[in-house]
Amino acid sequence: MRTLAQRLLLCPAVIATLACGGASGTDRRTLVDSRDQYDPRSLDPALSTDVPTGRAVGYLFDGLTRFTPDARVEPALAERWEVSPDGLTYTFHLRRGVLFHDGTPFTARHVATSWQRVLDPKVKGGRGWPLYPIAGAEDFAGGKKSVIGGLTVRDDSTIVVRLKEPFAIFPKLLAMPVAAVVPENIPPDFGEKPVGTGPWRFVEWKHDDYLLFARNEQYWDGAPKSDSLRARIIAEPSTAVAEFESGNVDVLLIPEGEVMAWEEDRERRKLLQSAAGLQLTYMAINTQRGPLRDRRVRQAINHAVDIQPMIDILVSGRGIRAAGVIPPSLEGADSARRPYPFDTRAARRLLREAGYPDGIDVDLWVGSNPLYIRMAQTIQAYLAKVGIRAKIVQRESAAARAASRAGNTDLFLKDWYADYPDAENFLYPLLHSANKGAGGNVSFFENAEFDRIVSASRQEPDSLKRALLYRQADSLAFVEAPMLFLYFYSDALAVQPWVAGFQAPAIFNGQRWTKSMIERDQPE
Amino acid sequence: MASFILRRLLLAIPTLIGVLVVAFLLLYVAPGDPVQSMVGERADEETIARLRQELHLDEPLPKQFALYVGGIARGDLGTSYITRRPIARDIAERFPKTLQLAGAAMLLAIVVGVTLGVLSARNPGGPIDRFGLGLAYLGVSFPVFWVGLLLILLFAVTLHWLPPSGFGGPRYLILPAIALGMRSIAFLARMTRSAMLESLSADYTRTARAKGLAERVVVVRHALRNALIPVITVLGLDFGAYLTGSILTETIFSWPGIGRYVVTAIGKRDLPAISGSVLFLSVVFVLVNLITDLLYAKADPRVAYD
Repeated sequence: MRTLAQRLLLCPAVIATLACGGASGTDRRTLVDSRDQYDPRSLDPALSTDVPTGRAVGYLFDGLTRFTPDARVEPALAERWEVSPDGLTYTFHLRRGVLFHDGTPFTARHVATSWQRVLDPKVKGGRGWPLYPIAGAEDFAGGKKSVIGGLTVRDDSTIVVRLKEPFAIFPKLLAMPVAAVVPENIPPDFGEKPVGTGPWRFVEWKHDDYLLFARNEQYWDGAPKSDSLRARIIAEPSTAVAEFESGNVDVLLIPEGEVMAWEEDRERRKLLQSAAGLQLTYMAINTQRGPLRDRRVRQAINHAVDIQPMIDILVSGRGIRAAGVIPPSLEGADSARRPYPFDTRAARRLLREAGYPDGIDVDLWVGSNPLYIRMAQTIQAYLAKVGIRAKIVQRESAAARAASRAGNTDLFLKDWYADYPDAENFLYPLLHSANKGAGGNVSFFENAEFDRIVSASRQEPDSLKRALLYRQADSLAFVEAPMLFLYFYSDALAVQPWVAGFQAPAIFNGQRWTKSMIERDQPE
Repeated sequence: MASFILRRLLLAIPTLIGVLVVAFLLLYVAPGDPVQSMVGERADEETIARLRQELHLDEPLPKQFALYVGGIARGDLGTSYITRRPIARDIAERFPKTLQLAGAAMLLAIVVGVTLGVLSARNPGGPIDRFGLGLAYLGVSFPVFWVGLLLILLFAVTLHWLPPSGFGGPRYLILPAIALGMRSIAFLARMTRSAMLESLSADYTRTARAKGLAERVVVVRHALRNALIPVITVLGLDFGAYLTGSILTETIFSWPGIGRYVVTAIGKRDLPAISGSVLFLSVVFVLVNLITDLLYAKADPRVAYD
């Protein structure tokens, strides 16, 4: 144990590595989370476009399906479903006897009205795309139709959904927060006083401070094991660490750069948990700008940067090198594919062959995340060695994103978090030509063969064949190099020793704390 | 006096209009717009275009400004684009917390700073004076951020005396108040000291002593009262600054005040929330300055406003 004086001298560089946090037990009965860094936008599923909102919506509401912590999709409000042979019609059989927190019985009608509400232009939700596969949904959202043709309530416990084209992974999209089921007759302050069917009832929301939930005793899947759950909103990561060290919070998201210190500490490493990462960090290469139109130039960029040391040093070795866009834990990932080797000679040769013996000049855009700024500087230095002169353009994150959507960035260092655990959620938004710009494809990648394979995979009902198509598309993208493939990151969480039944989720809304509890008799 | 207050309040109106124009233009020239935050990472052009149209973001600049000022002129701060909550309610929820923190910091600064200053001046070069000088150096040179983390580390994590962060009873107020008030303590201590040195050697103090008054009365009623003018200046400026944005302190201590609200609104380009809070905070600043001016007159009868 360090003396206090030593500790104070070491502060603040090692503020997060405070040795020997004092707490050895807790008297609390409430589970306390500390992962939210900003206030949720609302508790209304229709406005769920950020992580704190999506997480809270997952506590309060149910969708027809839901994710497990290890990112499998399982039935929730829908007990089971059937798909017609042409893949177009889904018949969802709903759970009976489910009650909203206010006692109203849940019926199939609620599903239809909830989805209508999300898509209704008057609600101005901003996120309708998870429901766009439903026939007529997009027209309804655009104000062109007054009803959604593809939705039919057959009886109180059956809803039939017709899609505009076959889409085999549609049930996964229904586990997203926007597809959650809400009651009818939504009051204007619903976002502040939400009523759902979820495992937790809403108690209180102190903005920028905390959200408090109480267990839903009547939850159809069994009431949560703990009485209450508090989601604290802690803006500063070092403060969250201090709260964890003081024993005031149960789960902590460890900042990327500090995981190493936790892993090296014999006591604290026992508290670490993580799940297979569904986040891709990459540098989008705009394939429609200047020399970057040439595949060889893009490949040269991939050869020019030595990525493993960056992973080791900048994210404590927690990234898995990417050789494609599909995370290794998902169907379709090809574990045999090797990443581009670090080879400056190959990079220079490719540049020469492409007709740029004197190198090229590009802009490298980055948002305000300090980690990515450091990473951009490292990449800049590597690129300079092969004659690619990258000028770093650092902007506030929303502004950088807007510029990349408009196609004004050559290179843009960013990440992509999965909304649902499927390779489609990487291949389609990031690289399909239908999503150029705002849809997520800020590489403006357009490749007819790739589009064809991805479109076919979306329609393929057989999961094995689908995985093969995913793999094929990913291989093609790897060769075309519309990005600098960096790494897949998995969050490291610290969980207090007195917490039982908490598993780090692979996807943001995959852990609803229903099995978690604080153990009374806890070992010294 | 009443006419002075009225004149000052009327003069504040052009100031506030100026603030609104500058805030609007700054947001207008800054890249990015609220729609980017409303749709999240993955979106479609059609939705973005529709939302932009609904928020009048494609209208010409003067029209946007008219819309922006229009609501405020009607006394309605409007509704946030992002959260759909009324701005006035958001501010009403957060400002009392900022007021509480700023008030505690100020109180601490007055008690500690003025006391230190008076004691230092009574015995210049003595141990208290040197301690005060050291503290003042630390106070002005350590950034709030660092002091805040140090306080958390020492008093919360190591000693378990106080909670590390959050909002609640007085226990939650102590550490952020110290972190926020540090700079004021330092300034006040030095200000009070030099003003006291001057007034302790002034003719009226000598007269007071000659009259045979007790030393305590001489120091407090005669010397300190005359030394208060510069102290009030510092107090007024600092209090205004604390009320309008103790962003770092609020962030480190997870204090749900107005500073964090404004920062979040700016990050998301939430125009109504930004304009509403900027306007509100400008009014607060103007009022604090006005009160400071009135206090001058209270402290020094030679200052007259009529």
